[in-house]
Amino acid sequence: MDAGELPLAYTGGETTGFQSPASDYIEQGIDLSDVLDLDKPGVYLVRASGQALAARGIFEGDVLVADTAAPPRAGGVAIAFVDGECVLATLAYREGAWHLLSADGGRAPRPLGEGAAIWAMAAALVRTEV
Amino acid sequence: MPAFALVDANNFYCSCERAFDPALQGLPVIVLSNNDGCVISRSEEAKELGVAMGAPWFQIEQGPDAASIRQFSSNYALYGDMSRRILEVLRRWSWKVEPYSIDEMFLDLSGFGGDLVARGHAIRRDVLRETKIPTCVGIGPSKTIAKLANHLAKQRPEYAGVCDLTDPEARAVVYPSLPVGEIWGVAGATGRRLARMGIQTVDQLAALDMRQARDAFTVIGQRLVMELRGTSCLPLNMLAPQRKGVAVTRSFSHAVTDWREMSEAVATYATRATEKLRRHGLVAAGMTVFMRTNRYNGDPSYRGQVSYEIEPTQDCLILIGEALRGARSLWRPSYRYFKAGVMLHDLSPVGRMPASMFPTRDPRASARIMTALDAVNARFGRDTLRPAVTGIAREWATKAEYRSPRYTTRIDEIMKAVAI
Repeated sequence: MDAGELPLAYTGGETTGFQSPASDYIEQGIDLSDVLDLDKPGVYLVRASGQALAARGIFEGDVLVADTAAPPRAGGVAIAFVDGECVLATLAYREGAWHLLSADGGRAPRPLGEGAAIWAMAAALVRTEV
Repeated sequence: MPAFALVDANNFYCSCERAFDPALQGLPVIVLSNNDGCVISRSEEAKELGVAMGAPWFQIEQGPDAASIRQFSSNYALYGDMSRRILEVLRRWSWKVEPYSIDEMFLDLSGFGGDLVARGHAIRRDVLRETKIPTCVGIGPSKTIAKLANHLAKQRPEYAGVCDLTDPEARAVVYPSLPVGEIWGVAGATGRRLARMGIQTVDQLAALDMRQARDAFTVIGQRLVMELRGTSCLPLNMLAPQRKGVAVTRSFSHAVTDWREMSEAVATYATRATEKLRRHGLVAAGMTVFMRTNRYNGDPSYRGQVSYEIEPTQDCLILIGEALRGARSLWRPSYRYFKAGVMLHDLSPVGRMPASMFPTRDPRASARIMTALDAVNARFGRDTLRPAVTGIAREWATKAEYRSPRYTTRIDEIMKAVAI
């Protein structure tokens, strides 16, 4: 091959000898950033730490896809700031107010408001080591 | 009637820092220029403390408020990405959005009708929810009026962040209270000339006779008067104009006295400048290199600058060679160098590049190497792959002691949340 000549992209359709029977049916490969909506302006990645939510399948080191546009949802997992600390907690609606629950019972349920606010809702999870 | 909105982020760089660290809310926050030199963004609390725009950090650091102030080095990777996110949110409100600056976006809301003020509040709410960045919205039938309305929305709490000057009567109420200096593009010489003509407030300028406006300020002045009266003359630009030049100039973290350090810095700046060329699909036919000592600290003074023609290329290896050729000719040992820079000019789109008769390197091989270099660095982070001549330790490199993580562009710097 000549220096500087780039190999053509081959998607399964561009054959040189026999015409590919697939050429009319070529589709794009799956793009995970589409599946996970990573291009939405309100979507951010957040690293989980600690094992308190292991029962929900969220482990230390997992990458959460956080959606700041998503409304709060009972039973959902929220990325929230509590007294300046960024936490990951299950959300519950009790007695007319949203609360952040502590999965291991180590902390009392914390009502949203003074010093506690949701930053985003976890929409999906990416784990690069299985 | 056309309708424009200007959405302007409040203390944008400080607000970006707060977006990922809400504990900074209510504290005086400042962001410093390259090399942690001086203040370029202040939170409201920092303004109330009396921190001036442009104040040198070393003074603040030794001052009485140092303990209460939270300072950050500039984190442009983060600010650029947050600006992109703001624009994406705004595109839901109008597909015509002009990114005028990193923190100001014009929207064309013509033809939507309805309650523009309510729309402005909804836009603010969306941007705040999704990017955590507070904004103010100014609305008007021309861009100049939208900009003035934005100024009012920022300055006067009674507007609650949204000011609509679509109604001529609303303009008639506020114009007399606004000095002409608040108008977009009126500053310095123009402002002084207006003052000599006895024009001090916006209502006086808007009432100026058209012929007089043109005689005094050319067609630009005439257009300004038209815009102030509510006739739109400045269209929305959705594309940035072609760059006239690319400059990479930085001061060093310490005085450079060693040619090795200087050559690393100049090679690095040439590499950066070439990255910008490739990003914009341009080539350069001219280069300027300069180096200088610190004017203010009493060091013996030297300012060297040289401009020359270069081979039109996007190849950083060739341009490093060109830049070092210039730097070598300027280098005088025994000076304590404070700053250096590489500028590229005479730019043209790569397709229209005047072919080089005797290229240093095979242009196709060069293009492939640069494509590979950019791809690796896009995937694994800037400078993962770089010419060794740009240095390894780079002790001279610009200080950024207080930079926050690049939360949105580096996977190893994303926000952390502790499961509870």
